[in-house]
Amino acid sequence: MSSFKMIDVEQICIIINFGLGSKLLQIAKNYGISNGTVLLGKGTVNNRILDFLGLSDIRKEIVLMVANKKTADQVLEKLHDEINFEKPGHGIAFTTSVRLLVGIGGYKSDNLKERRGVDDNMYDAITVIVDMGKAEYVIDAATKAGSKGGTIIKGRGSGIHETSKLFSMNIEPEKEIVLILSEKDKTEAIVSSIRKELKIDEPGKGILYIQNVNKAYGLYK
Amino acid sequence: MNLLFFKLKEVLSSVLPIIVTVIILNFTIAPLDVSLIIRFFIGAVLIILGLAIFLCGVDIGISPIGNSFGSTIIKTNKLWIVVIAIFIVGFFVSIAEPSLRILASQVDFVTSSVISKESIVVIASIGVGTMLSLGFVRILYNIPINKVFTILYSIIFILALFTSREFLAISFDASGSTTGAMTIPFILALAHSVSAMKSDSKASEEDSFGLVGIASTGAIMTVMIMSIISKTDASTVSLEYNDPIFTSIFSPFIQQIAPTTIEVILALLPIVIIFLVFQIFSFKLSRKTIRKIVMGLVFAFIGFVLFLVGVNGGFMEMGVAIGYGVATLENKVYLVIVGFFLGFATVLAEPSVYVLIHQIEDVTSGYIKRKVVLIPLAIAVGTATALSMVRILVPGIQLWHYLLPGYVISLVMSYFVPKLFVGIAFDSGGVAAGPMTITFILAFTRGAAEAAEGANVLVDGFGMIAMVALAPLIALQILGFIFKVKSKNGGIEYSDE
Repeated sequence: MSSFKMIDVEQICIIINFGLGSKLLQIAKNYGISNGTVLLGKGTVNNRILDFLGLSDIRKEIVLMVANKKTADQVLEKLHDEINFEKPGHGIAFTTSVRLLVGIGGYKSDNLKERRGVDDNMYDAITVIVDMGKAEYVIDAATKAGSKGGTIIKGRGSGIHETSKLFSMNIEPEKEIVLILSEKDKTEAIVSSIRKELKIDEPGKGILYIQNVNKAYGLYK
Repeated sequence: MNLLFFKLKEVLSSVLPIIVTVIILNFTIAPLDVSLIIRFFIGAVLIILGLAIFLCGVDIGISPIGNSFGSTIIKTNKLWIVVIAIFIVGFFVSIAEPSLRILASQVDFVTSSVISKESIVVIASIGVGTMLSLGFVRILYNIPINKVFTILYSIIFILALFTSREFLAISFDASGSTTGAMTIPFILALAHSVSAMKSDSKASEEDSFGLVGIASTGAIMTVMIMSIISKTDASTVSLEYNDPIFTSIFSPFIQQIAPTTIEVILALLPIVIIFLVFQIFSFKLSRKTIRKIVMGLVFAFIGFVLFLVGVNGGFMEMGVAIGYGVATLENKVYLVIVGFFLGFATVLAEPSVYVLIHQIEDVTSGYIKRKVVLIPLAIAVGTATALSMVRILVPGIQLWHYLLPGYVISLVMSYFVPKLFVGIAFDSGGVAAGPMTITFILAFTRGAAEAAEGANVLVDGFGMIAMVALAPLIALQILGFIFKVKSKNGGIEYSDE
C-alpha cells in the first residue's frame, strides 16, 4: 500500500430534496467536477403532527462526487451560493477524505479563499447498514441520543451470515443504509445508542462505521 | 416541503390540463350549462385533494403492505404456497376493484342483464388471480417477459377468433379496468418486493415491471372464454342520453358519498385483510410501522372517496355532455381533435399513473424521469381516444382493425426494446385505464356514440378502454427504443433538461 501517495482528494456528499440532484450535478460539472452519482433516499422531518400522520418522510437525492480538495471546496462554495444550504430544509453537504482516486485525471483547480462552511472536524459521518425496515430504529435511536435526523438509502447486499437462493434466483437481501451527521461530542452517545438498540455487535445485525467530516454545510444547531 | 404538500403540487399540475381543456371547449365549440361547469370545478377540487391524499396513502400504506406481503411469501421458498397465495390475493384484490365493477354494471345495464354484473366481475378476477401468480412465477424463474407476452397474446388472439364483436370489446375493456387504482400500487409493490431481492441488479430492475401487464391479460382471456362457452350474444340497447336536470349543484356530490364510500371500503378490504393476516402470522412490523400503515390506509380511503365523488359528481356528466355536444356539430373532425386533447389531459390525472411513475423513478434511481414517461403516455392515450372517435364516426372500422395490428406491433417491438421498457410499457397499458380515464373518457365516448348516427353504444362505446390500454404499449416501447439508441450513440451523458 505504500505506493499510494498521500493525496488531497475529497469525497463530497450532498443530500437534497428530490429532483434537484441532476441540477446540482450540472452546476458541479461547470466548475470542474467530472463525475457524480445520484442516489435516491428518504429523509425524515422532525415535526410531531406530520410524524403522527405518518407523513414525516421526504424523498431525497444523495449526490456523491469525488474531486481534489481545491476543486471540492470551490464547488461547494458555488453550490452553497446557488442552493443556500444555510436555510433550513435546503440540504446538507459534507466532505470526507479519500485515500486513493483512480479514473479521474486532470484536476482543474484555482486558488480560492476559504470562507463559510463549518470548518475542520467538527462533525462525524456515521454510516449504518442494516436489514430492510430497520433503518427507522436506527434513526430513532440516534435521535434519542441527540441526532437531528438522518437519511435512508435503499440498498441490497449480504454478509457472510446470509446467503441464500430462493427458487431459481440468487438472493441478496434488501438493506437500508442510514447516513447520520453528528457533532463530534455527540457521536459517541449516538453510536452507543444505536449499538444498544439494534444489537449491531451481534453477527448478522448490521455494520456501523464513522468517518471524519472535513467540511460541512447546512447543519445548524 | 412534506409529502402531502409535494403530492398536492404534483397533482395540481396534472389536473390543470383537463380543466383548461374543458374551459376552452366551453368558450369555443361546445358551450356548456353554467351549473354543470360549477359542478365540474367542485369536482376538480375534490379530485385534486382526493388524489393527493390518496397518493400519500399509497406511499405509506398500500405499497408497504404489498412489499412486506411479497417478500414474506417468497421466503417460504415453496412454489405451491406462492402460487396459491398470489392467486387468492389477486382474485380478491381484483374482485373489489371499483373500476371493474363500474364497467361490469355498465355492461349489465347495456345488455339488459343478459350478462350479469357479478359474473363478469368474478370471471375477470379469476383470470387476474391466475395470471398474477403466473407472472410471479415468471419473476422467480427469470422467464423472459417478451416471450411470456407473445404466448399470452397469441392465446388471446386465437380466442378472439371465436368471440363475438361485442364481447371482444368487453373483454379487452375488462383487462384495462381490473387493474385500477387500488390494485396497481399493490401489484407494483408486490413485483418490486421480489425483484428487489435479486442479486442480479439488471434483472431486478427489469422485473419490477410487467406484472400488471401480465395480470391484465388474465381478465381478457377469462371473459372471452366465458363468452365462447355461454354463447351469449349481447343484445344492443341504446343508453338514453338525458339532459341533466340542473336544479342542484351540490346534490349530485352528496348523493355520491354513500355509494362511493361503500365501493372504496370494498376495494380496500382485501388489502386490509392481507395486512391483518400478515401481521398475525409474521410479527416483524414494529409498532411505528403499523401505525404508519394504518394511517396510510386511512389516507387511501379518504383520498379515494373524495376522488371518486369528484369524478362521479362533476366529471362524468361533463364527459357525456361534451361528447354529445361535440358529436352533434357539423364538422366531425372536431370530435377527433377534442378526443385527442381530452385523452391527453385525462391520463395525467390518473392516480395509478402516478404510482407507476413513482416506482419507475425509484427503481431506476431517477434515471427515467417523470416527464419522459408522462408525455408519451399522454400522447398515446390521446391518440387512442382520437382513434376511438374515428371508429364511432366511420362504422366500417371495427375494434380488431386497431387491436390486431396494435398488439402485433407491440409484441414485435418487445424483442428489440430493452426489457425494462417492455415491462414498463405493458404495465402502463393497465395503468392508463384507471378510474379517471374510465369514467371521464368513457362518458365522453358514450355521449359521442349516442349523438353520432349509426353508432352503436355497446360496440363503439366500449372498446375505448381497450384502446387506452393498447396505445401506451407502443408509445413507451418507442421511448425505450429511443433510450437504447441514445445511450448507444451519446455514450457518456444523458440529460433530460
